[in-house]
Amino acid sequence: MQPTDTNPSRDDENGPGEKNLAITARDIHVTYEDGTEAVQGVDISVRSGEFFGFLGPNGAGKTTTIKTLVTLLHPTQGTVQINGYDVSENPTAVCESIGYMSQETSVDKEFTARENVRFACKIYGVPEGERAQRVDELLELVNLLDVADKRAETFSGGMKKRLDAATALVHQPPVVFLDEPTTGLDPEARLTFWEYLQSINDHGTTVFLTTQYLEEVDRLCDRLSIIQDGQLLTTDTPDSLKSDVGGDILKLEVTDTSSQSIDSAERVVRQSDVFDDPSVKTTESGLRIRDRNARERTSELFVSLHEADITVTGFDIRSPTLDDVFVQLTGEQSNSDGKEPSKTEAEAEAKQRVMK
Amino acid sequence: MSSSSDDGPIVGATTARKADGTNTLTDVRFSLERWLLKTSRNPFVTFSSLIQPVIFFVLVAEVFGAIAGTALAETVADVHYVTYLTPAIIVQSALAAAAVSGIGLVDDMETGMFETILVSPMNRSAIFLGKILSEVIRIAVQTLIILGLGFALLTLKTGASFGTFARTGIFGLLGVVVVAVIFGGVFMSFSNIVALVTGDREATIMIANLLTFPLLFVSSAFLPLPALPGWIQTIAIVNPITYGVDAIRALLLGEDVAAVVTVSSLPAPWAVVVPAVLILVGFNVVLGGIAARSLKRRSRAEVQ
Repeated sequence: MQPTDTNPSRDDENGPGEKNLAITARDIHVTYEDGTEAVQGVDISVRSGEFFGFLGPNGAGKTTTIKTLVTLLHPTQGTVQINGYDVSENPTAVCESIGYMSQETSVDKEFTARENVRFACKIYGVPEGERAQRVDELLELVNLLDVADKRAETFSGGMKKRLDAATALVHQPPVVFLDEPTTGLDPEARLTFWEYLQSINDHGTTVFLTTQYLEEVDRLCDRLSIIQDGQLLTTDTPDSLKSDVGGDILKLEVTDTSSQSIDSAERVVRQSDVFDDPSVKTTESGLRIRDRNARERTSELFVSLHEADITVTGFDIRSPTLDDVFVQLTGEQSNSDGKEPSKTEAEAEAKQRVMK
Repeated sequence: MSSSSDDGPIVGATTARKADGTNTLTDVRFSLERWLLKTSRNPFVTFSSLIQPVIFFVLVAEVFGAIAGTALAETVADVHYVTYLTPAIIVQSALAAAAVSGIGLVDDMETGMFETILVSPMNRSAIFLGKILSEVIRIAVQTLIILGLGFALLTLKTGASFGTFARTGIFGLLGVVVVAVIFGGVFMSFSNIVALVTGDREATIMIANLLTFPLLFVSSAFLPLPALPGWIQTIAIVNPITYGVDAIRALLLGEDVAAVVTVSSLPAPWAVVVPAVLILVGFNVVLGGIAARSLKRRSRAEVQ
């Protein structure tokens, strides 16, 4: 885990003034009762209208952070301001100006879609005369109007998530917080859900989204922070993070996949002057090379390999993805598939549940 | 994609608007409506806490009624076993309804509704007051149904008039409902403490099931206390069910019926009702206080 630049003041000096900031968190620390330091000094500045991603593996501190932002947890240290309201000084004003969608799908399953949204209208103080219209509009937005009078228990996972999202929007909040909204959805439902999130953001709503999926932030977010073990590794736009990886990725497959053969291929890559300073890793079937000139000079590398009697059977050159960013920053495979809850946060939450 | 984007700002950066006149009272109403609607959508769960006591009422009246007369005659004269049993069944149904109170809370915690509502601007006390009110209504309705059934059974067996069954009249019956609700509060609190401490649906249901049945037998519910073995009498004295049953029985019969605590300076039935209700209120204060504290911890989730 590298020390990283998490200094927020930079953002403020160059960026917009405080009043255009929808979310400001300064040096927040959250330590659970059992001593687990789930969040250790996180700074977040999100501009109004921004789509902000909060990316990290299971147990990195994403949920703890989002709960701190929406008044559900009090930070052990640090301050949080949402829409200019301080979370600890004026929690009610914060609650009125945000929408929150928890990780669990929080709909009343014995209620119809309409009843669910209507209840949300009531508790967010939508005037009685406007409720019926608002309910219809929101159900149309999430494409559930045709099943408005069906009970939520008959809905698929994706439909329930969309219904949940609709209930978070009844009071036209300028900021919405979504905690892993697509976890557990099948790929098609996820794609549909992304479209709704995009359209919500297109209307000017600031979106703060946590996720384990790199593809999701890449697709949706203007900027993102990567969090691991309770600390931010970096905050930037997806594009500049990708360009920071330094070069494109070349994957090679060779005929002889014995370790000697792959090792000699690696020697060729390092010794030949095709690439200036390549990052080379051996894989099961060949090599993974990252270099600034990967795209332009691969054919020259093939010549060198051919001279060394190494036969290339397959190759692939691609631009870096956020996966590569993640691997480079954390030194780990990302958790975008097959994940195993790591300890810290998951355990602390379980413990907290028992204790509270 | 929906075409709603053309229809105007359904969502957007506009400042949230809150209706005028939204206050704690309307918040209580919204929460009450939610819970009543939930209750009406789960008729099976709702009726199970009524059907079991009803079946029990008929069976116990038939089976034990035959022999209980002797035990009654020795302690309380001139009371038909059905009349004697009615308070026990009222308490059983209130207990069955109250002991599952925590399940709704656990469900809300599991589905995230708990947090979703906490994040809303809704008044926090109102959220829970609404839920408590919905259960108070449920217990009151169940109590009235059992009272009606008790009268029907007695009339079928002896042809007794309403006055023989409810000797203290309408006000006595209202008193019975009030005591049933106060009694229910004890186990509502208990169930919610279990729910908040374990956060586990199964544990909450299991404790509700474990409680409802055996506790009835270690109380004055089915037979007068002096007719019971010594060790059961000892447990019965600390069992809130005893006081619920004693108070309701005294209210229904208008006389002191071999209750555990009697204040002899007061006239019947107050000599029994007043101390019993005070003891129940005491249970409520202690357990309700613990429940409120656990709830506050849960909902504040204060981290040092």
